[in-house]
Amino acid sequence: MDTIINYVDNMFASLPKSTEMKQLRDELLANMEEKYHELKQAGKTDNEAIGVVISEFGNIDEIIEEFDISQEGDVAKQPLLTEQEVEDYLQVSKKSGQWIGIGAVLCIFGSAMFVLLLGLFENGYMNGLTVETGMYIGVILLLLCVATAVGLFIYAGMQLDKYKYISVKGNFDLPIDLKSKIKTMNDAYQPTFTIIMIVGVVLIILSPAVLLSMIAFNENMANFGVFIMLALVAVAVYLFVYFGNMYGAYDKLLKGGAKRTKEKDEDRVIGAVASIIWPLAVIVFLISGFIYGLWYINWIVFPITGLLFAMFSGAYSILVNKEE
Amino acid sequence: MISSDVIRGYNDTIILYLLLEKESYGYEISKRIKELSDDKYVIKETTLYSAFNRLLKKGYIESFHREQTFGKKRTYYRITESGLLYYQDKCREWELTKEVINQFIREDYL
Repeated sequence: MDTIINYVDNMFASLPKSTEMKQLRDELLANMEEKYHELKQAGKTDNEAIGVVISEFGNIDEIIEEFDISQEGDVAKQPLLTEQEVEDYLQVSKKSGQWIGIGAVLCIFGSAMFVLLLGLFENGYMNGLTVETGMYIGVILLLLCVATAVGLFIYAGMQLDKYKYISVKGNFDLPIDLKSKIKTMNDAYQPTFTIIMIVGVVLIILSPAVLLSMIAFNENMANFGVFIMLALVAVAVYLFVYFGNMYGAYDKLLKGGAKRTKEKDEDRVIGAVASIIWPLAVIVFLISGFIYGLWYINWIVFPITGLLFAMFSGAYSILVNKEE
Repeated sequence: MISSDVIRGYNDTIILYLLLEKESYGYEISKRIKELSDDKYVIKETTLYSAFNRLLKKGYIESFHREQTFGKKRTYYRITESGLLYYQDKCREWELTKEVINQFIREDYL
């Protein structure tokens, strides 16, 4: 029976989605269903019954002519996506999610490395080199990371650009069978996605706690604490960006252009904020150190940023989820 | 099997004849057509519903909903006054058509 439903839906795919057409579709389908069951009762096999029912469907052009449906009218025909296109789009989304995720992680990682190097030099683990040298190396490393990240962002953006008609404009239709296939994939993906989001939020909220407890234990460990905290944040941000991107891709395919309202961009927003806020924290750290000589206390920038960031991402996901 | 091209002008007549018997719905009508024609004519779904739409627009039939035994809502059709007049016209037209065409049919080829 599914074959028949798919067949009728495909026939109606190019027609306007008016109530009239929907009623007609339901009516035709009800007739075909009845015919199908009668044929089966008469001893026909499933395939035979389907064959007869479909061969007696007729030609959809008759409907188009009789119901006066102008194909180029106000209900402009949207291009149907092929299975290949959908696969490519999901593939590119996955890849670009990886690139953007790695970019965000690099921004945080650069900041983390900087603080770590500083800690190593301060504690004299790098024999013969002054703290200042460590600082320069750290800054260079950070800049390299950010530059690479920007490159990745641009590259991922260009990759996604080809699929603007899906992701931004949304002017497409999906054949029904493909739509149900995507839906199944999306449903299968949902539990993983939820778990990942919970893990991400927990990691971010816990990260300042790690730093604070390390400081409480030994103040000299502050730099290493910052490094661990940022590492946790980086993992969380990667999860957000990568899985959020995949989720968004399915969402865009299923909802299409017209019906899409507020997108679930929370994860990417958190990722974007993370890749700005952490290098920014490093800049504040540098300025307060170099210009004001506040080295003994300015590491406090990191736990504060961490707490603020944790509050932000926690509150943000709750707010966004509530709106749905 | 009759090709749908030949019969095109008389789908409306066939449907009106059946609705004159009793009010009915899509599948029942197509089944009756198959039965009465001895399986020689099977009307396609799209042809049937194009005809319904045409007849409705001209006011020859009207539609209403009726619950079926299994609680399914089906669209039923019944013939109207003007539908009956139209049907009578078509009957006379067919009589004439038959006469004319028969003039050009050689009995020995049948």
